[in-house]
Amino acid sequence: MTLDAIDKKEALRYLGCKENIDNERMISLLDECEKRLISAAAPKYLYEVFPIAFELGGVRISDSNIILRGNDAAEHLKNCNRIVLMCATLGQGVDVLLRQLQVTDMASAVTTDSLASAAVEQVCDKAEAEIFEKVKCNSRTWRFSPGYGDLPLDIQYSLLSILNAQKRIGLTVNDSNMMIPTKSVTAFIGLSDGEVERKSRGCESCNMKDKCKFRKSGGHCGN
Amino acid sequence: MEIKELLAERGLLIFDGAMGTQLQAKGLKTGETPELLNLTDKALLKEIHRSYIDAGADIISANTFGANAYKLSHSGKSVDEVITAGIKNCKEAIEESGKPVFCALDIGPIGQLLEPTGSLKFEQAYEYFKEQVIAGSNAGADLVLFETMTDLYELKAAILAAKENCSLPIICSMTFEENGRTFTGCPVLSEILLCEGLGVSAVGVNCSLGPKELMPTITELCEKSNIPVIVMPNAGLPDPATGGYSIDAEEFSEYAVKIAELGAAIIGGCCGTTPEFIRRTADKVKGRKYTHKKADRICTLCSGTKTVAVDRPRIIGERINPTGKKLFKQALINDDIDYILGQAIEQVNAGADILDVNVGLPDIDEKAMMIKAVKSIQGVTGVPLQIDSTIPEVLEAALRVYNGKPIVNSVNGEEESLESVLPLVKKYGAAVVGLTLDKNGIPPKAKQRVAIAERIIKRCEQYGIPKEDILIDCLTLTASAEQLAVNETLKAVREVKERFGVKTVLGVSNISFGLPNRELLNHIFLAMALENGLDLPIINPNVAAMTGTVRAFNLLKAIDINSAEYIAAYGSDTPAAAVKPTTSDITLEYAIDNGLKAEAAKLTEQLLTDNEPMSIINERLIPALDKTGTLFETGKIFLPQLILSAGVAQSCFDVIKAHLAKNNSETVSKGKIVLATVKGDVHDIGKNIVKVLLENYGFTVIDLGKDVEYQAVVDAVRNHNVKLVGLSALMTTTLKSMEETIKLIRENNLDCKVVVGGAVLTPEYAEKIGADFYAKDAKETVDIARRVATDNSDL
Repeated sequence: MTLDAIDKKEALRYLGCKENIDNERMISLLDECEKRLISAAAPKYLYEVFPIAFELGGVRISDSNIILRGNDAAEHLKNCNRIVLMCATLGQGVDVLLRQLQVTDMASAVTTDSLASAAVEQVCDKAEAEIFEKVKCNSRTWRFSPGYGDLPLDIQYSLLSILNAQKRIGLTVNDSNMMIPTKSVTAFIGLSDGEVERKSRGCESCNMKDKCKFRKSGGHCGN
Repeated sequence: MEIKELLAERGLLIFDGAMGTQLQAKGLKTGETPELLNLTDKALLKEIHRSYIDAGADIISANTFGANAYKLSHSGKSVDEVITAGIKNCKEAIEESGKPVFCALDIGPIGQLLEPTGSLKFEQAYEYFKEQVIAGSNAGADLVLFETMTDLYELKAAILAAKENCSLPIICSMTFEENGRTFTGCPVLSEILLCEGLGVSAVGVNCSLGPKELMPTITELCEKSNIPVIVMPNAGLPDPATGGYSIDAEEFSEYAVKIAELGAAIIGGCCGTTPEFIRRTADKVKGRKYTHKKADRICTLCSGTKTVAVDRPRIIGERINPTGKKLFKQALINDDIDYILGQAIEQVNAGADILDVNVGLPDIDEKAMMIKAVKSIQGVTGVPLQIDSTIPEVLEAALRVYNGKPIVNSVNGEEESLESVLPLVKKYGAAVVGLTLDKNGIPPKAKQRVAIAERIIKRCEQYGIPKEDILIDCLTLTASAEQLAVNETLKAVREVKERFGVKTVLGVSNISFGLPNRELLNHIFLAMALENGLDLPIINPNVAAMTGTVRAFNLLKAIDINSAEYIAAYGSDTPAAAVKPTTSDITLEYAIDNGLKAEAAKLTEQLLTDNEPMSIINERLIPALDKTGTLFETGKIFLPQLILSAGVAQSCFDVIKAHLAKNNSETVSKGKIVLATVKGDVHDIGKNIVKVLLENYGFTVIDLGKDVEYQAVVDAVRNHNVKLVGLSALMTTTLKSMEETIKLIRENNLDCKVVVGGAVLTPEYAEKIGADFYAKDAKETVDIARRVATDNSDL
């Protein structure tokens, strides 16, 4: 997969900028950072379709021993009988670039970090579009990730394991359940033969809702 | 058993095919740990092994790929149990078959990424592999196979663990993508160089792609490797919709014939292959006469992502060296690794091909600093390193943690030096600089230096160091002191090169010591030395004339074909940009607001002529920074702009610091602050932003980095007598580490305040875990630091 252009408006929002900017230096900084980021990134994704079963305490993936614990994943997957489990990463090159910039040019580092966060979401959007050219279903949910709602982060390791993500795209988690390379995403999408309730991805389902800097300043993160 | 002998005896060897694919076919459930079947379903394992033996494999691998302490941590089984059972199943299957087949201890990646991108330490990775190797060796494995590796650094930890803990032959195989690199960016040649240097028996590729897609990689391996090549492709490409693979056993075996013709020594299969694939492959290629071609090699260095062949003059950057540099010394004393990294990146951007790393300073722990410097530098640049120390213990520490094939700087003609350094060079597979001096010092005449060179070369050969890895330094003497010696050095360079055919290296800058216009002498001498056969000039690449001399030489000698590199470097030279407002028109405040670094530095210099440094800081810089700070807080500007402005202030501080260093005055530090991203957390950009801003406001930051042990924070606070510690954590999972760190600070009764920050923190939580302050962003951290500084005038 390739990235042609990065959603700069989104990156600016991560930087705390609510409106469009007209500062020339900022615009050229964004352009330079975008160029370097695109050449450092090697976006990759993986997916697999699994049947799911609802159980007391969560949702079991296929016939495995992996359970998406808590109420929120189950609520999200209501009416679904399968999931697309996916993961995506911009690759280690972006981490190297961010380390370099943090030593030489912190303004670029901060800008590139935000651009990379926007970029990995774009990769997921693109991946989702490609996946659903092949995977057929009547309706589907939006992407739900570990850490949303009451779904614990420690499920990351198992999810990446069943996708064989290290071997296939070089994606791992560390002991603190952080994804490495850092600009990466794990998510699942519920598939239904009927209709899913396509609730908006509002703040209520987010475990950051009490701490979120976007909410504090009257906005939201866009999810 | 030794691979080379086995190849001579049997010809081309056959390895087995996939294990995982077979286990899944026999009902292994998603998410189950396949290695546990070694204990619970021996019959199944033996049946699979037997099927590969019957298919014609010479070597079969035990079901131990993921049997490491990390992956087995939740299984309730020990590494020793699982590996012992795995080897036993394998050996029983061999015994029952009655065939002369060998059993490989199969070891894959640990499952976590190593530092610097990941948080697994190199030393920790070594321990994981060591445990596996000892278990497998005790259980009776015939060889060790490291496969599906993507990180050269992890592979190095693995090889060292095997070499140092068993005497079995080692085979290494990495996984390459279609671009010829692994996920971590490792090229094929880096794998070859590392494996050859560390004395591995065979090197190659497995997994990720089918034989067709791997052909370019296999070709490169067979052309460039001086040790036998192993190839184990997948059964073509996977289809995510069906889980199947794209080629069948017959097609696979046809590719195996082509692979054998390219010169591979061992062929097997990876994901999707079955005993049938191996049977057809064995039918076609097993036992073919194998003759090893030795590749012609010129000295080539590498890192985990880059190779540099000394097939033309290559620049070694000399700037990472504290000799005669006050700021560098200060950085070493303050553990300021970012300063060193800045020096590294600057030189690489200026055109350095290799970086010399010397961190020797009397009052510091050189070994610890060297390890830290090497690990950090290789995290920000792929340029190979030259490890520079006079202490063998420091050299060895650096050779261990270096990711690739470095140069050792240096050994000399004294027997004591040769005996202590050359075994290290051999063990870690490095190249080495030999200085043409001995116990009598530097001989005046070229002839004598050539004689010492000859002695060094002979001793290297006795230790088994390949000739291409020997680099001779004929030593530059200062022209002001010994004018006639200049020509002797040049003569020695020429003769060493012509007589022995080795590469030459020379520290150039020494030539002009004590003379005016050093740059002129340096670059002229450089040109003369290049013409006399110098391959590796050690220079300051940031000086345009020096790098330019090498570029011009390459053009004029028709090394830089079609002048392409020269034009790339200088072709876009445009006339100087339109004249900006002259410095006299702009104020320091204007420069800070508008991000004009160079102008601000110039203005600061002017101000220093008739202003006190502290008054410039307190009356000009800090108020200007406060103004941008307020704009940031009120949302008029945002983070990158705040940082840009702060960066300008930093350049002013740098000028003031340099001014003070020159005048041997006190520093202008507003106080020392320790910063750390807590244990387990690798997201440290927030902490780094705080660091930059604090420095911009004149604080000295002791930056402990990311994933910092609790005790390391306590030690730093104590050693540097610090009154404020800043801790950051990004994730809910690492807040616990923050709490533990604070607890340990309190338990040690340290008289210091703690400020915390991070995306998931709240003021309430900060209070709960015992922090003194919560900072919502970098700017607020600065405000807190200033308050604490006022409370403790001696911060």
